Amino acid sequence: MKQLARVLAFAVAAVLSLPGLVQAQRNGGELVFPVPSEPPSYDGHREETFGLIHPIAPFYNTLLRVDPNDKGGTKPYPSIAESWKESDGGRTYTFKIRSGVKFHDGSDLTARDVKASYDKIIFPAPGVGSTRKGQYAVVEKIEAPDRSTVVFRLKQPSGSFIASLLSPYNFIYKADILAKDPNWYEKNIMGSGPFTFVEHVKGSHVVGKKNANYWDKGKPYLDGFRAIFIRSSAAQVAAVRGERAHIQFRGFTPADRDNLKSALGNKITVQESAWDCILLVAINHEQKPFDDKRVRRALTLALDRHQASESLSKIAIVKSVAGVQVPGTPFATPPGELNKLAGYWTDINKSRAEARRLLKEAGVPEGFQFTFKNRGIPMPYEPLGVWMIDQWRQVGLNVKQEVIEPAAYFGVIRKGDYQAAMDFQCGYIVEPDLDMYKFLSADRNPANYGRYKDPVLDALYDKQSGETNVEKRKQIIRQFEKRLLDEEAHYLMTLQWHRIIPHSSKVKGWTVTPSHYLNNTLDTVWLEQ
Amino acid sequence: MLHYIIKRLLLMIPTLFGVAVLIFLLLRVVPGDVVEARYMSQGSQFTSQDLMNIERKKLGLDQPLWKQFTSWMGGVLRLDFGLSMWTGSPITEEIKLRFALSLQLAVMATVVATLLAIPLGILAAVKQDTWIDYAVRVFSIAGLAMPSFWLGILMILVMLIVFKWLPPMVFTPFWVDPWENLAQLIWPALAVGYRYSAVATRMMRSAMLEVLREDYIRTARAKGLWLKLILTRHAMKNAMLPVLTVIGLEFAFLMGGLVVTEQVFNLNGLGMLFVEAISQRDYTLTQALVLIVAAVFIFVNFATDIAYAWLDPRIRYR
Repeated sequence: MKQLARVLAFAVAAVLSLPGLVQAQRNGGELVFPVPSEPPSYDGHREETFGLIHPIAPFYNTLLRVDPNDKGGTKPYPSIAESWKESDGGRTYTFKIRSGVKFHDGSDLTARDVKASYDKIIFPAPGVGSTRKGQYAVVEKIEAPDRSTVVFRLKQPSGSFIASLLSPYNFIYKADILAKDPNWYEKNIMGSGPFTFVEHVKGSHVVGKKNANYWDKGKPYLDGFRAIFIRSSAAQVAAVRGERAHIQFRGFTPADRDNLKSALGNKITVQESAWDCILLVAINHEQKPFDDKRVRRALTLALDRHQASESLSKIAIVKSVAGVQVPGTPFATPPGELNKLAGYWTDINKSRAEARRLLKEAGVPEGFQFTFKNRGIPMPYEPLGVWMIDQWRQVGLNVKQEVIEPAAYFGVIRKGDYQAAMDFQCGYIVEPDLDMYKFLSADRNPANYGRYKDPVLDALYDKQSGETNVEKRKQIIRQFEKRLLDEEAHYLMTLQWHRIIPHSSKVKGWTVTPSHYLNNTLDTVWLEQ
Repeated sequence: MLHYIIKRLLLMIPTLFGVAVLIFLLLRVVPGDVVEARYMSQGSQFTSQDLMNIERKKLGLDQPLWKQFTSWMGGVLRLDFGLSMWTGSPITEEIKLRFALSLQLAVMATVVATLLAIPLGILAAVKQDTWIDYAVRVFSIAGLAMPSFWLGILMILVMLIVFKWLPPMVFTPFWVDPWENLAQLIWPALAVGYRYSAVATRMMRSAMLEVLREDYIRTARAKGLWLKLILTRHAMKNAMLPVLTVIGLEFAFLMGGLVVTEQVFNLNGLGMLFVEAISQRDYTLTQALVLIVAAVFIFVNFATDIAYAWLDPRIRYR
């Protein structure tokens, strides 16, 4: 009996010592966080920057959201919609809208507001710009048959439709306001989120205070938040180190993490995750000799990604060796299978010998010179650019780097004025439809800077997109990945970015995900002291 | 004198017009525009040409250049700089707070520089080739050698590591909370003021040395006049002329040129706004900022010229 009591006491003590499990959420306090860029406008439907999400998302709700406790950042979770169901063979999605949700002006949020918001995104009125219209091409129409029901009718079944509704940008706006002026939300803030807007001092900060009438009773825990715009990464680190800020939600470098940890010890908690951002190498298929797939394959075979993962991750915000999906997420290729692709082999000598053979076969002479255009952003463009040039030199290529100012960069690349160039993509959620759209033929996606057309690749994309069976979809994604990265080597992947968030240990209730666009509603966040 | 002042004021108009034409054209020569910067810098995959066209139309970028220029100039003549192409907010609103911060910092740095440079420059000249002179020269050369942003980084590191304290990250106007305001701005003012004082100290020293060798100073000394009186009443005023030019030019530069220092101390000033406006290809905001900084330069030069006449009664403008 005594032994049982001891075991029970030990178990209780063990449970009590687990952080996060037994600590009750504490109310109060102001969360302070630096934001590296400022929102151009307040309209989530129009902008595409985390500079909008971090300070503005706490004022709004979305139809669905990603589960705030899901480290993978992919699980759908109720928000304004408390439940949903699929019918008509995956062509109809019906959402039940939560009752009792109020906008900050006191009016009710109903299905009509959800419909108006999504109509603005998917079917914008003439003269109104929508950045995400193309993402919802599968939607045929949206209906709001009553106050608490919204129905999305699709042209065909889609494996990614629910994931596309998790977009943190798709704020629910008030229908009456949109009817009067669809651009009203560019300069004004009025949502239903856990915080209400207090002030935005241009170039300085945004302040929000607790929404006392928030529909999720008991939340938010914070009294408010203050988002301070700090461009310099050194100043952001100093703000956390000097305890003027609790957290920066985008990410710091490995060196910043180590400095903060050594300076503040237990006062700092570090959360890390693979990051749904990656630098790619676009190869201009319209320029010789890059129209020859043997040359493109040689370029990827020259890269020792496994070694770079170890060395570069110490100095730059990159880490995992990845294919078209973030490693560790549901549709990612397992490492054993990924390592069979060209450029992913573990034997780099064999890989480089094959690269030299292919170059010779394609008639590319030893010491062949070409220019690699890189974007003038230090981290991680600079270390990755230097690394690649060194890798290509090891198969006899002589590469010159040309760095272009960030604002002009994509204009140059889009015009095709390059041989090989750094490209990138960053997603708000890890989802094959979003992550692989980039690689469709140039006539389907102008953001494919490789300027190639590949109907086989396009067909594979469409096939996986319409496939609702997860296992079958995975198989098609593997085929897509093999064609893109190995057989045709249209694009080259470098290393997956790695998100490092060293934050004050006082910050609780926040989980890192692979996307710096997620988990910024702040309703679950609380401060320990 | 009045005639001269009116002439100089009138001359400002063609100068500013020239600046306006130049900046308007130069901005349009640089590749890319605000719409491209907004939608393509994030690597968007779904941005369509239709969306870009809608945005360009909204901003008037689809209009011919002459129409864009006349419409902008029409606004400027009414002191209406229009809306920022990036944020859509009135430019006066964008600039107001930043201007206040930059102006206060420029004034504070000028005060620091003047308080250091004038006494040190005079002291070094009077005690020429003594250890005091050498010490002042080392101090001022060190100021010239150290960029102010580097000194700023050192200051922040010392405050963080030694005193476990960091200046406030957000600007509070002086009239709202003087202590909080000074706690943020005194450090950049010292960092910038030190470098600024180094230039002025050297200028003050050499000008003073030159004046001290003049006949009228020798005469005053021969008459047995107090050295203090000679320096303050007779020598300093004449020696101040080149120093005043340096102070004036530096002051105008501080209004928009402290980009890196502003970054280091996270100051929401005109320098950072300038860089952002250019990198975002925000034509209207960049044009307004260039005009404002040009106007500050012109006005400060004008004020310096007027001050010359006050310091040296021999100078008369026609």
